[in-house]
Amino acid sequence: MQKELINVKNVYYPPGGILIWIIIFLELFTFGMALIAMIFYSKDEPEIFHNSRLLLNTTFGAVNTVFLLTSGFFMAKSVDSFRENNIKKTALFLRWTLLGGFLFLVLKSVEYYFKIENGYTINYSTFFSFYWMLTLFHVIHVIVGIVILLSVYFGIKKPIVRTSIEDFEASAAFWHMCDLIWLLLFPIIYLLF
Amino acid sequence: MKKYLFLKVWVVLIMLTITTTLVSNSTLSKTRVAILILGLSVFKFFGVSFYFMELKKAHIFWKISITIFVVFLTTILVLMR
Repeated sequence: MQKELINVKNVYYPPGGILIWIIIFLELFTFGMALIAMIFYSKDEPEIFHNSRLLLNTTFGAVNTVFLLTSGFFMAKSVDSFRENNIKKTALFLRWTLLGGFLFLVLKSVEYYFKIENGYTINYSTFFSFYWMLTLFHVIHVIVGIVILLSVYFGIKKPIVRTSIEDFEASAAFWHMCDLIWLLLFPIIYLLF
Repeated sequence: MKKYLFLKVWVVLIMLTITTTLVSNSTLSKTRVAILILGLSVFKFFGVSFYFMELKKAHIFWKISITIFVVFLTTILVLMR
């Protein structure tokens, strides 16, 4: 493992590095603006938004939040273990992190299946246009996050670990960003209208 | 103490998630429900960003930036509701 001393108190070195944080803020702004647009459009069709929201399964949304938060918890533990140079524990926590991500995708797929089967597709209403665009865009981020974590996982499983702590932290920051986005999407799409 | 910090944060986040879901089904007025739901979500957002992402240890610029973003966004959303 390449050990580096990073002073996270330096403005140019937030945990994970400045580049990942620029990406995180860009993503948060993008989703934030889309959510503002969603609330703006709901003003024209409050009844349709309310009735469409009632067609969503809140339990699925809440359970998916639990999956992502639990996955984020294991990711944080994994970063801690990596800092302590405990590769065995790092790999174990990464596997739990990935499991949380996969469970999220499975439940989301089940939710999408029922929506499509009942005809609640992207053209069903303005609410469902936002629902599909925002949640699918988020799912793409989760898939990208899983691919990044898998590459980190196979990197640390090699006999000689070349993964740096900064790379590991950046991957973790991307994964946590998926949590942050979902923490904004879940209450607004599933509960607010 | 530090050993169980992430676990404590996780427990609080799960409890907040359950509370948010319960609040959404309450008989309070729409505006109050919206403020409560978004307020609880802001706490969850801080839990993940400050503890799991370790922004707590970062330079104050990053702490203020993320705080301004989430407070500004939720304020706009509540006002638009």
